Amino acid sequence: MRNISARPNSVLLAVWLVGSLLLAFILAPLIGLATVQSPANLVRVAAMPDVRLAIALSLLAALLTTLSAALLGVPLAYGLARSDFRGKEIIAAIVDLPLAIPHTVAGIALLIVFGRQGWIGGPAGEFLGLRFWGTLAGVVVGMLFVSAPYAVNAARIGFEAIDPRLEKVARTLGMGPWDVLAKIALPLAWRSILTGLTLTYARAISEFAAVAILAYYPMTAPVKIYELFLQFGLDASSGMALLLLVVTLALFILLRQIGRRGGAFARAGR
Amino acid sequence: MTDAALAIERASLTLGQFSLRAIDLELEAGEIMVLLGPNGAGKSVCLELIAGFHRASSGRILIHGREVTDLPPEQRRVGLVFQNFGLFPHYTVAGNVSLGLRARRGAGRTGTARNVGELLSRFGVAHLSDRYPQDLSPGEKQRVALARALATQPDLFLFDEPFSALDARTRVSLREDLKAFLRHSGMPAIFVSHDQTDAALLADRVAVMNRGEILQVGAVSDIFGKPVNAFVAEFTGVENILTGRLSGQRGDLRRIEVADAVLHAPGGDFAGGEALLCLRAEEVGLRPGDDAAGPFGLVGATNRLSGKVVEAVSLGAITKVTVDCGFVLVARLTNRQARELALAPGREVIAEIEADSIHLLKPDAADRIAVANTRQANETISIPHPWRSAAQTRG
Amino acid sequence: MVRRTTFVTAIALMCGGAPASAQAPATLTVFGAGTLAAPFKQIDAAFEKQNPGVVVQAQFGGSVMMARKIADLHQNADVIAVADYSVIPKYLFGAEAKTAHADWYAGFAQNAITFVYTDKSKFSKEVSAQNWYEYLTKPDVQIGRSNPDTDPSGYQTLQMLALAEAHYQSPGLEGKVLANAPQANIRDTETELVAALQLGQIDYLAIYRSDALQHHLAFLDLPAEINLSDPADAASYAKAVVHTKNGDVAGKPIVYAVTIPSDADHPDWAQKYVAFLLSRAGQEIMASNGFGVVNPPYAVGLDAMPENLRALVKPWPGQ
Repeated sequence: MRNISARPNSVLLAVWLVGSLLLAFILAPLIGLATVQSPANLVRVAAMPDVRLAIALSLLAALLTTLSAALLGVPLAYGLARSDFRGKEIIAAIVDLPLAIPHTVAGIALLIVFGRQGWIGGPAGEFLGLRFWGTLAGVVVGMLFVSAPYAVNAARIGFEAIDPRLEKVARTLGMGPWDVLAKIALPLAWRSILTGLTLTYARAISEFAAVAILAYYPMTAPVKIYELFLQFGLDASSGMALLLLVVTLALFILLRQIGRRGGAFARAGR
Repeated sequence: MTDAALAIERASLTLGQFSLRAIDLELEAGEIMVLLGPNGAGKSVCLELIAGFHRASSGRILIHGREVTDLPPEQRRVGLVFQNFGLFPHYTVAGNVSLGLRARRGAGRTGTARNVGELLSRFGVAHLSDRYPQDLSPGEKQRVALARALATQPDLFLFDEPFSALDARTRVSLREDLKAFLRHSGMPAIFVSHDQTDAALLADRVAVMNRGEILQVGAVSDIFGKPVNAFVAEFTGVENILTGRLSGQRGDLRRIEVADAVLHAPGGDFAGGEALLCLRAEEVGLRPGDDAAGPFGLVGATNRLSGKVVEAVSLGAITKVTVDCGFVLVARLTNRQARELALAPGREVIAEIEADSIHLLKPDAADRIAVANTRQANETISIPHPWRSAAQTRG
Repeated sequence: MVRRTTFVTAIALMCGGAPASAQAPATLTVFGAGTLAAPFKQIDAAFEKQNPGVVVQAQFGGSVMMARKIADLHQNADVIAVADYSVIPKYLFGAEAKTAHADWYAGFAQNAITFVYTDKSKFSKEVSAQNWYEYLTKPDVQIGRSNPDTDPSGYQTLQMLALAEAHYQSPGLEGKVLANAPQANIRDTETELVAALQLGQIDYLAIYRSDALQHHLAFLDLPAEINLSDPADAASYAKAVVHTKNGDVAGKPIVYAVTIPSDADHPDWAQKYVAFLLSRAGQEIMASNGFGVVNPPYAVGLDAMPENLRALVKPWPGQ
């Protein structure tokens, strides 16, 4: 809570001092990226149709990834929050595994499973005509693998923050478990879920190696940036990198604004 | 067949380290029962069992004669109110109440359709209809919670320590409101608490629980005056639990040797040997006087002993006096009485204890379960002083 | 008296501790084409053994990318070795008003384009060095190759296919093979596709012969007329012209070239390193890794070369 009349708190001063170091650490390379090129260069890069296409593809694929993470991950989070059985924490650890696996390794592992002769890729290709090598589906698979943990963990924290007795009261009022999930649990955990999905989206957009091995084409923004660097060098690639940053920054600010409005209720729940 | 509001028949369940063992409980129509016990006794688990959040491993649960043992909570028709009243923070008052109404509509219950406005008016909170729970006072929250639960037309109300987070004054007023509501609506209710005042003021009957078992069920006067074992005695604030030896009879009363003194008390069916004597500190009267101020021993129906004050401690509204009359005796006096006696350590006093206020227990009466058939009429029992909570008794 | 002795002793010790050569020990930065990774590890180890105190730190990647690191990112390398000799003059000689970073290069090893495959590959039992084009043109055969816009082996593969169409007199060969190698099967360096080959995602991978041997993969030894291995066939190779985003590229024999950038941190050690590379010992290591050797090494820009290296090379024929 803001307390304008409070005297300066030495702890707060100290943490902001230290914190600003980290902020500077994050901002410096980004500012460097912005200043190493001219605005004319930025315009030139933005005019390239395959640059815009790659960014649009990244945004779309990340959206599909986030939706998948929401559909699959939020229920898992609810299960982890509300169930109690022996292997539960092992399952939670499994969910976190993608965070620890080097991205190239993840890409190869996904290729093993989703490739033409893979356990999932083979049957999917034969019976459903669904291919992952070099397709949008493959891009989403790569993105989902590395970003799903964020969705699950944030949603789980959101659900765990809800007093379980609220859900019990809802049951006694006649609501079945589905009603309770839809009307009580999801609305109260909404802010955490949104934060998690925002992180998921961010992580999905930025992924390179895991996506590039299974689906180098169609080119997502990180792959295109890499290709631009190889073909045209520093100017083109840093121009596109900056463009991508600006687009994603705008998106996240927008998402956080939406999240803020829905958050008050969760806090008042205890 | 029973038409009891609630019947639990030998229900048991195990939750990790904790078990409820062979619970037998019956609640009559319109009755308010307070479930009393220390933390960890299993009171909330019991409530959750009734509400349907745990499955009994054996036994049955019936509500209004309808077996609900295997039914999920949403089909049991119970109303649940817990600490801080459990209002949904993301719905308005009207929203909260209508959630209950909407859920019930599908259950096919007959009766006049109640709309939200009607219900809110009945509870005097219609003017709060668009407010959110965080803006309400505890009293208003309670009323909304009751309205919401009532909207579902439950057969039974369950309260799980709803007042425990409130200050004393708010507690008192909310408790009165709640009692008025329950009496007026004739709803049977089970109220879980660790506070004896709740028991005293709300209950028709009290059930004392410890470690997953029900130790004693009965009217308030029985629980407080005739505890079935030492635990119940201690928990309900009996401060004098003495060991004595039965050594004879005098009329209807038994003669008991207690350390260096003798007391007489109704002995009932005691054969002989050792006994535990329970005596509430409030039942001990003190008079000025010394050894010469006889007669001593049993005088009429009163035990008279001479003794010396060991210490007198003021506890705000009450003075607790410890007296040595051949054994250690604790008395509670009003401040005025204490002043009149001019109490000081060493002062000689005379203790007067009515024989009927001493309750005898067998020394091994640890786990017996006793159920009384009498039911307390609210107005007749007057409890002169607020009971202290169990936590303070342990002091 | 004592102090003076101590002082002199200290100086003597410091001088005595220096190596026999006039230079202090150094860390050499070597940039190399991806396919040179395996042989250069051995060359670096041998060089370090011969010259204790010198540490060689090598980085490998697409030849064009490594050249760009020097030209665009201003990273300092002491030695750079590329898979296509023309990458050096194109990116490092200062064309298009960019700064010049080098003015000579020496060709020291050769390679050939082949196709590798596994027993999971389609038609793996039927295919041979003589009949390969009959099978690799069939539909549903998945073929991998590297990006012609960023990697020499990419455009070299295209040149090989053009030469093959003429050599086997099989019109449409190039088109059909390329139809089996769509964009999804292209990567910046072909080595990134080895995993895909091993997992059965692709059946055949166009790759250097040296890589085939290093990865212990079965390969098709294509005729010298088409696989860009023989400098004697340079004239016929030149007939295959391929369009890339960096311009048109005519077929040339695959010759690996090395140079020392002008802003190298340790030019003297760099010269020793290149001398070792070009020596018999260096060439033996290259040969044992599946590369053809250029003996004696060819060079362009001899006048700009350091004297001790000039003695080891001959002028590049036809340049």
